[in-house]
Amino acid sequence: MSDNTNTNTNATDADTDAAVDIDVDVDTPDKYATAPRSPEELTSDSPFTLPGFFAALDEGRLLAAACEDCGTRLVPPRPACYDCGSRNLKIERQPETGTVISYTEVRTPPPALADRAPYTIAIVELDSGARLTGRVTVPYADTEIDMPVSLSIRAPEEDERAMALEHELEWPIHEFEPA
Amino acid sequence: MTDPRIAAVGTSPLGRTDLTGRDLFSVAVTEAFEGLPDPAEIVDAIYVGNQSESYEHQIMYGTLMAEWCGLRHVPAERVEGCAAAGALALRHAVEDVRSGRRDAVLACGVEKMTAGGTAGATDALSAAFDRATEQRSGVTAPSQYALLAQRYLHETDATERDLARIAVKNHKNAAANPRAMFQRETDVETVLDSAYVSPPLKLFDCAPVTDGAAVVLVANEDVTSTLSVDDSVRVAGVGAGANNLSIADRNLTFIEGAHEVATQAYDQAGIEPSDVDIAEVHDAFTVCEALLAEAAGLAPRGKGYESPLAPEDRSAGWTDVQLSTSGGLKARGHPIGATGIAQAVEAYEQLTGTATPERQVDGADTALLINEGGVADAVTVAHVLSAA
Ligand SMILES: [Zn+2]
Repeated sequence: MSDNTNTNTNATDADTDAAVDIDVDVDTPDKYATAPRSPEELTSDSPFTLPGFFAALDEGRLLAAACEDCGTRLVPPRPACYDCGSRNLKIERQPETGTVISYTEVRTPPPALADRAPYTIAIVELDSGARLTGRVTVPYADTEIDMPVSLSIRAPEEDERAMALEHELEWPIHEFEPA
Repeated sequence: MTDPRIAAVGTSPLGRTDLTGRDLFSVAVTEAFEGLPDPAEIVDAIYVGNQSESYEHQIMYGTLMAEWCGLRHVPAERVEGCAAAGALALRHAVEDVRSGRRDAVLACGVEKMTAGGTAGATDALSAAFDRATEQRSGVTAPSQYALLAQRYLHETDATERDLARIAVKNHKNAAANPRAMFQRETDVETVLDSAYVSPPLKLFDCAPVTDGAAVVLVANEDVTSTLSVDDSVRVAGVGAGANNLSIADRNLTFIEGAHEVATQAYDQAGIEPSDVDIAEVHDAFTVCEALLAEAAGLAPRGKGYESPLAPEDRSAGWTDVQLSTSGGLKARGHPIGATGIAQAVEAYEQLTGTATPERQVDGADTALLINEGGVADAVTVAHVLSAA
């Protein structure tokens, strides 16, 4: 069987190897570019918080926290690595291309998205190894495992805003389209 | 420290009912305490598994259920972990008694899922998925499990027909279980002809929306001998653990969280997977039974879909375990917060030899329970129960 485990988690086997190669996001201010070590660093400007993460996404940058110790890419960024427990993390801009790991079609959607169904959902592994679930812009029949896709970011539409909480109203929607 | 025992069990009817959550709980408690002293004379604490306040616009189920069975001024808590809430409640009761802190604890679960119709249940269940990425993408419970199923069918030799056979087997078991929601058999063609809910999963691959409550009394041996209950089973092992919330971050075809907690429970009980006679696993969708049989070491990797076959017809590496003898979540019913307790009720009946003859497994003396919350192993609880 092929291994569908998040590929970057395999890096734990290489803990003793050379440092993980992380391409630190140049657009993230230095003070927010590494995992918080004091509470003052956790403001809504930091991509280690959801408002900061979505603000960057709104600018077209999908950010991960990349673990310096094991190489896992965490989307959205959070203050510690689930795979090895490390807090040595750096903000890294993620590639916008990847492949479909699995997919399905939502036929009975949450009530707010009733008019949108049916729609396709996929788990996508980006070229960095980071994984992200999102809608696919093409029908289920036109989607398949291993299909190359690219990330697209757009403003929420009326139904998506209707299901949003107040603090989520302006957060962009991510989708995948065939590459 | 002595192993806690399950000394009494009860369930409400499972399915669409005209009773509310608290009433369903009353039915389950009344069954469990038939012939026993009042709960207030026995019970030191109560834990209530409950998924969502959105069904009945009610939280504080700990307080409410305590009051409804005559308890006051005892620790009483609602336990939340989506569909694993029931087993989490059981685990709390077991740990309380095992540690010697308490003599007898009521572990319960309750859910009134039909209150909001299909839309209400879809919405309530979607709260179990990551708000930041998954919910905003419009995922639902069937679609999350369909992502697992699609990958499973891609990586293994299993087909949709194989998954259908799991549903057929579980309906057959439920037909022999007076507690079950669907006490009727089905066939492979009916399953395959049912509409896709989220492909490759069809309506008959899915556990139903269910109202229900279940109760077990967990007590030490002093209590069970004082009560002189005829039948009780020993809780020999427990395991619990969380994995990532987002399914994207997890292994889709090896349910690591279930593997971890089953191993913990086996180790505590001092048993091997091959010692397990019956297993109630979290078959919220047919593919889950296959995945969990593999994760728990009952089946070789990629062959868990053979669970409906007789042991002699399964691939090498399979144990002779019987899965979902109650009918499973699929056909017994899946009242989310009560499911983990309902699994324990089935194990109690099997291990005490009080299951209906049609589904009683001869000589069953070791049972494995696996209860999951969120999609797959976002949180997982395992218990090993023993007749001895
Ligand atoms: Zn790490």
